[in-house]
Amino acid sequence: MAIRTTTLATLLGGLAAAPALAQDLTISVYGIAQDEYREALYEPFEEMCDCTLTVETGNNSERLAKLEANAAAPVIDVIAFSDAAALEAANAGLLAPLDMAQVPNAEDIYDFAKDPIGGGMALGYTFYATSTVAVAGEAQIASWTDLLSDGVVDRLALPNITTTQGPLALYMIQRALDPEAAEAGDFTGAIDLVAEHRDEIVTFYERSSQIPQLMQQGEILATAIGRFAWPGVANLPVGAEWIIPEEGQSGGLNVLAVVEGAQNVEQAHRFIDYWLSEEVQTKLAEMGADSPVNTGVELSDDQAEGLTYGADMAEQIHFLPPAVQIENREDWLAQWNEKVAR
Amino acid sequence: MTDTRRAGLMLIAPATLFILVGFLLPVGVLLSGAFRTDAGWSLGNFVEFFTTPLYLDVFFRTFRLGLTVTAVAAVLGYITAIAITETSPSWRGRLVALLVLPLMISPVARTYAWLVILGRTGFLNTALQTVGLTDEPLRILFTETAVFIGLIQLFFPLMVLPLLSSLENLPRDVIPAGRVLGASWFAIFWRVILPLTREGLVVGGTLTFVGSLTAYVTPAILGGSKVLMLETLLYQRVSVANDYASAGVIAVILIAMSIATNFLLKRIATTRRAAR
Repeated sequence: MAIRTTTLATLLGGLAAAPALAQDLTISVYGIAQDEYREALYEPFEEMCDCTLTVETGNNSERLAKLEANAAAPVIDVIAFSDAAALEAANAGLLAPLDMAQVPNAEDIYDFAKDPIGGGMALGYTFYATSTVAVAGEAQIASWTDLLSDGVVDRLALPNITTTQGPLALYMIQRALDPEAAEAGDFTGAIDLVAEHRDEIVTFYERSSQIPQLMQQGEILATAIGRFAWPGVANLPVGAEWIIPEEGQSGGLNVLAVVEGAQNVEQAHRFIDYWLSEEVQTKLAEMGADSPVNTGVELSDDQAEGLTYGADMAEQIHFLPPAVQIENREDWLAQWNEKVAR
Repeated sequence: MTDTRRAGLMLIAPATLFILVGFLLPVGVLLSGAFRTDAGWSLGNFVEFFTTPLYLDVFFRTFRLGLTVTAVAAVLGYITAIAITETSPSWRGRLVALLVLPLMISPVARTYAWLVILGRTGFLNTALQTVGLTDEPLRILFTETAVFIGLIQLFFPLMVLPLLSSLENLPRDVIPAGRVLGASWFAIFWRVILPLTREGLVVGGTLTFVGSLTAYVTPAILGGSKVLMLETLLYQRVSVANDYASAGVIAVILIAMSIATNFLLKRIATTRRAAR
C-alpha cells in the first residue's frame, strides 16, 4: 500500500509539474487590467525568453493563503503583492531574497521602491496615492478631519477597515489629530472620531468601483479613494475634485518578489527586471494600467490624469510602513469592530 | 448479491464518488477548520465567536431578518396565491409567469436596480417627497430596511409558488362550506386554509428562511459593511482577514441553522398531518 501511495504521489507531483518546462514561469498577480498586462508585458516577455508564462490571479489574502498551502512544493515563481502582504509572506519564510545584480533596472526606480520591506526581499513596481475627493462647491475639504464635519459627514463614504484604503484613510485622519500617534500606528483617535459619526456616514465601502455610482446618484459628496479609482469619478458630470488636504495624502506600494523554492529563479529575476524596465513601465502607464516607479518614464498630462505620476506627487505621499501595518492591523480591526462595525 | 443489485450499485457509484470527492470531502476539510485551534481539536473557535459582541450582533441580525422576511413573505404570499387561484386559468398562467420572471434575472442585476430605486434621488424618495410624506430624502440604502426589501423581493416567488401549488390542491368546496357554516374569513383562513396548505408553507418557509440566511449579494450591495450579515461576515473573514477558522464557524452555524429549520418545519407539517 505504501508503494502504491508513493507511486500515486509521484504521479500526481509529476502531473502538477508537467506543464512547467525548464524556463517557463508561473506568476501570481492581481486580477485587474490583465488585457493590458498581456499586451505590454506577458507577450513581449514570452517572445523574448521563448518561454511560456502561466498567470494566476487573486487578491492578497487568497494568494497568500495559496502560497502558504504550497510552501513545501511551490508552484509560483514570481508574486506581486502589496508591501504589507509581501512582508507578511517574507516573515513566514515564503519569499527568497532578490539578487539585485540580476535586476539592473532597479537602479532606475524611485528610492522608496528599492527595498520597501527590507532585507532586499522585494522591489516596488507600482504605487498609488490615496486622498480625498469631493464635489466642488458642495463639500469643503482643507483637512482630513473635514471629512467628518457637519454638512459633509452625512454625505460621506469612507473605505472600510478591511480594504487596502481603509487603514490609509484612518492614518491620515490620525495624522490630522495627532501625527506622533499616527506614526506609531495608534489610530485610536481616528477610529473614535469615525465611531462618533458612524450613523451619519452613508457607508463604509468595500470596493472603490462603488464610488462613481454613489456620487452620481447624489448619495455622497465626499470620499477617500486611491488614485487608480479617480478616472471613474473624474468623468462624472458632478464636478468632483481630487483634493490634497493640508496633511498631504497617503498611498500604497505594490511589490514584486521571488518565491522561496521557486524553480526558475534566474528567469524570475529576468521577468522582474523586464517589468521594471522603462519600456514596459511606459507602456503600462500609457494604457492606464499602472503608475510607473521607473523614473525615466515620461507621460503627458492627459496620460497622467488617472495615475500617480512624477517625483512631486511621490514626495507628497505618506506611505504607511508595512511593518506598522502588520504590527497594528489586528488592533485596528478589533477597535473598529468594537466601535464602528457593530 | 444479485445481478440487479450489483448493477444498481455500479450505476450509482459514479455519482456517489463525484459527490464524495467533489463536495463532501472539500466541505468536510473546510468545516473541520472550525473545530481546530492551536491547542488541537476543540470548540474554542465557537466559544470565541459567541463571546465576540460584533459576531453576536451579526448572528442575531441575520436570524431576526431571516424570520421577518419569512413572516412577511408568508403573509404577502398567501394573499397573492389566493388572489391568483381566484383568477381564470389563462390569467393564472400569465400571473405565474410574471411571478417567475424575476427568478430568471441575475440577483446582482435585480439588487443593483434597488440601488437606483432606494437612493436619495431614486423613485421611492421622489414619490415620498412628491406626495408630501417627507420634506427631505430618507436614508434607506445601507440600512436593514434596504436589506429587508431586497430579500423580500428575492424570495417572494419561492414562497408563493409552493403556496399556490397547495392552494390548487385544496378541495374547491371547503371555503364555501365554511362560509355556509357561518365562519368569518379569518376563521376560514386560520382553521381551514392554513392547516390544509401547511405543507406548501413549510416548503416556502424553508426556502425563504434558508435563502435569507445564506444570501450574499443582496446584503453586500444594499447593506454594505454597516449591516453585516453572517454571509457577508464570512466573506470578510476569508477574503480580508484570511481567518478560515472564524469562516468555518460561520459556515457550520449556517448549515446547522438551515438543517434545523428544515427539520423543525418538516416536523410541524408531519405532526399536523398525523393529527389530521
